[in-house]
Amino acid sequence: MSFNLKDILTPFTAWSRVVKEPVTIKDPFTREAAPRYRGFHDNDVQLCIGCGSCEAICENQAIDLVPIEGVEGIETKSGDSGLRPSIDYGRCCWCALCVDICTTDSLRLTNAYTWVDTDPDNFIFTPGVTPKDWYEKEEGWRKPGHGYEFYSHERVHMEELHADERKDSFIEFVKGYSAEQAKKEADRCVACGICTATCPAHMGIPEYIKAVRDDDMEHGMKILYETNPLPEICGRICTHKCEDVCSVGFKNGSDPLSIRWLKRYIADQIPADVDKYKDMLGTGEIAKNDKKVAIIGSGPAGLSAAHYLALLGYNCTIFEKLPQAGGMMRYGIPSYRLPYDQIDKDVDYILSLGVDIKYNVNVGTDITLEQLSKDFDAVYAGTGLHLGRSTRIPGSEHENVYQSVDLLRNIVTGAPVPVEKKVVVIGGGNVAMDITRSMARLQMEKFGEVNVIATSLEDEEHMPADREEVVEAREEGCTIIPGYGPQEVVITDGKVTGLRVWKCLSIFDETGAFNPKFDEADERIFEGDMVIESIGQGMDLSYLSEEIKSKIEFGPRGRILVNEDWQAKGLPWLFIGGDIIEGPDVIHGIANGHRGAQSIDKFLNEGR
Amino acid sequence: MKELIEKLSSKYELQEVVYQRDNLVFAAISKENAIEAVTYLRDYEGYTHLVMMSCVDWIEDGKYQLLYLLHNPKLKNDIGIKVYIDRENPEMVSAHHLWKSVWTYQREMHESFGIVFPGSPRLEENFVVEGWDETPFMRRDFDTHEYAEKTYFPRGNRKTNDPAEYMRKKLYPNQPVTAKQRKDDK
Repeated sequence: MSFNLKDILTPFTAWSRVVKEPVTIKDPFTREAAPRYRGFHDNDVQLCIGCGSCEAICENQAIDLVPIEGVEGIETKSGDSGLRPSIDYGRCCWCALCVDICTTDSLRLTNAYTWVDTDPDNFIFTPGVTPKDWYEKEEGWRKPGHGYEFYSHERVHMEELHADERKDSFIEFVKGYSAEQAKKEADRCVACGICTATCPAHMGIPEYIKAVRDDDMEHGMKILYETNPLPEICGRICTHKCEDVCSVGFKNGSDPLSIRWLKRYIADQIPADVDKYKDMLGTGEIAKNDKKVAIIGSGPAGLSAAHYLALLGYNCTIFEKLPQAGGMMRYGIPSYRLPYDQIDKDVDYILSLGVDIKYNVNVGTDITLEQLSKDFDAVYAGTGLHLGRSTRIPGSEHENVYQSVDLLRNIVTGAPVPVEKKVVVIGGGNVAMDITRSMARLQMEKFGEVNVIATSLEDEEHMPADREEVVEAREEGCTIIPGYGPQEVVITDGKVTGLRVWKCLSIFDETGAFNPKFDEADERIFEGDMVIESIGQGMDLSYLSEEIKSKIEFGPRGRILVNEDWQAKGLPWLFIGGDIIEGPDVIHGIANGHRGAQSIDKFLNEGR
Repeated sequence: MKELIEKLSSKYELQEVVYQRDNLVFAAISKENAIEAVTYLRDYEGYTHLVMMSCVDWIEDGKYQLLYLLHNPKLKNDIGIKVYIDRENPEMVSAHHLWKSVWTYQREMHESFGIVFPGSPRLEENFVVEGWDETPFMRRDFDTHEYAEKTYFPRGNRKTNDPAEYMRKKLYPNQPVTAKQRKDDK
């Protein structure tokens, strides 16, 4: 056995440690965790919209969505549920999936990790609301980004005909999603349901998007028809206010779900066969009652009311002034956005439920409203806004100055539409874009080139038209010059030669009243052989007799006042809806029609 | 690091080579060759220190991914060797003879993922949980919520709200639009 001095001395060297600083940390409570440590939660509750994606993804169901009382800035409103996540630290495992899915990037984990309490129930708290000292900590876990995302921030591209292919015809140019594209787009949905409250019809959006993911079109159609009997139409031309509040599109640079196109996708998968529709929707046999309802106008409100009333067993008769059904959807919206066969598809099914429609009947002249009130148990009026408004600038009374609604209607009915080489359109809304793009197509047909200028008081950023409408119009060769106010239609030798405009500085005055201010020095003349006014529409209430007018009440701008059941104040049998109440919007009309039908049902069942 | 990868690839078939940083590289090697490669790195390339071993459950691909992260104290750089093993038959050649710390890592992975390392000492002993007879808890098909529900009693008066339904009650009460809502409201 060999002798080794080191073996004997080594144990004693340990004694030298006695006087050295220990390498362990005495007080673990003040020790900082790593900068990306996943510790306790913080939530920027002013940024959070209460979409509940954190709750949905939590594998341990540690998160509840709770109402917040008494915090300024948090309330339930369009785009914000007013709820905020509360977390049970008895269940949380700090995996941070809640942070990684957060649609607003409001939720994060700080690197705080010590919390001592004697009451276990205290470990349920609302980050950002329950006072905690770690909210000041900047370090901790945030969504890493760099491609680590649970859903795509880019929507699936919708294929369209190129401007050169579409500008000389009225055929539909948005191609619609394929099954693969639709599923991929539907996959981006976090199913929060924030959109439902904003949709005027309160459609079950997450559920029909789920139907796309599940490839169950029949279920999708059932969900659509619960709240909207015009899915082909709305799937194309809805103003999609839902997409404005979509949580997936909340962040800058993130696209909202393509909710409108997904709706269109569902409806497009079902062939135009009313029997198939009835089978699918379970409406083959409806028990009829003996009550009769007259509906004036077959626009979205009238058709929607007819649909829901028919389902409740009422005998509905629609009186339509024009030769076909659809109102503004057919006679206002150009067919390149909404083809007629798609209107027919939705309308034919509604009519197949036993709804009677009388075309070319003008209530007020062919039959009076009084007569309708005698022949029917209730009347629903959804007569819309079909009268063009004039700018009343000098020269606007000239015969070559037209109203957009009149021309759009003539394009559909086949009545002659004047097409000149140079056209000026006044207006920056969707209808103005419709006539601008329609005139461009007619010019292509007649002259082989486009020469339309559209101008609006609003500047580029504030034009009321949907952005895509403006972009597409320009793609098709139209010139859009926002920010100018019309002063005069220039008439030379009795002919319209242009429109004189001034730069618009502001539209409303300090009191909020319409009172545009102009820069007279910045004057331009837009050359044109015809001018089309498209600055809004008014209602034609000539079907109301003086006697009826004296019984009901009118509000600002001549609108008929209704109660919460959409009954005209003063005449309980008269229900009003659609654009004449809500202003021009298809989905509001549909929502109105639905609620009008429920109110009529309530009215006719009272006293039974 | 490039040189090392070139040397390694002349001996073994490398997959998924990723130069993560100047001083860190990853490569995947087959289950059959991985331990030989790790031994070679330790004995001939100076990667004498085992930083750690880890496991990832790629449930969608039906694989577990094991990682051997090695450090070269002279060059001050790291290499991570990844090995994919079949999820249905989660067995891997033991590396306990290379470093003693491997015993512990393998015991941990056996407990938390159910991976078997034949011959690894004290493999069956409890690591962090005692008497666990459920699905190994780090497997992704282990339902933590279900386990928590049946094991622990609920805390506090928890109540949650569905955003869409809550907004309906707040913003448009008395306006049910679907048959279900009409039924619920009654």
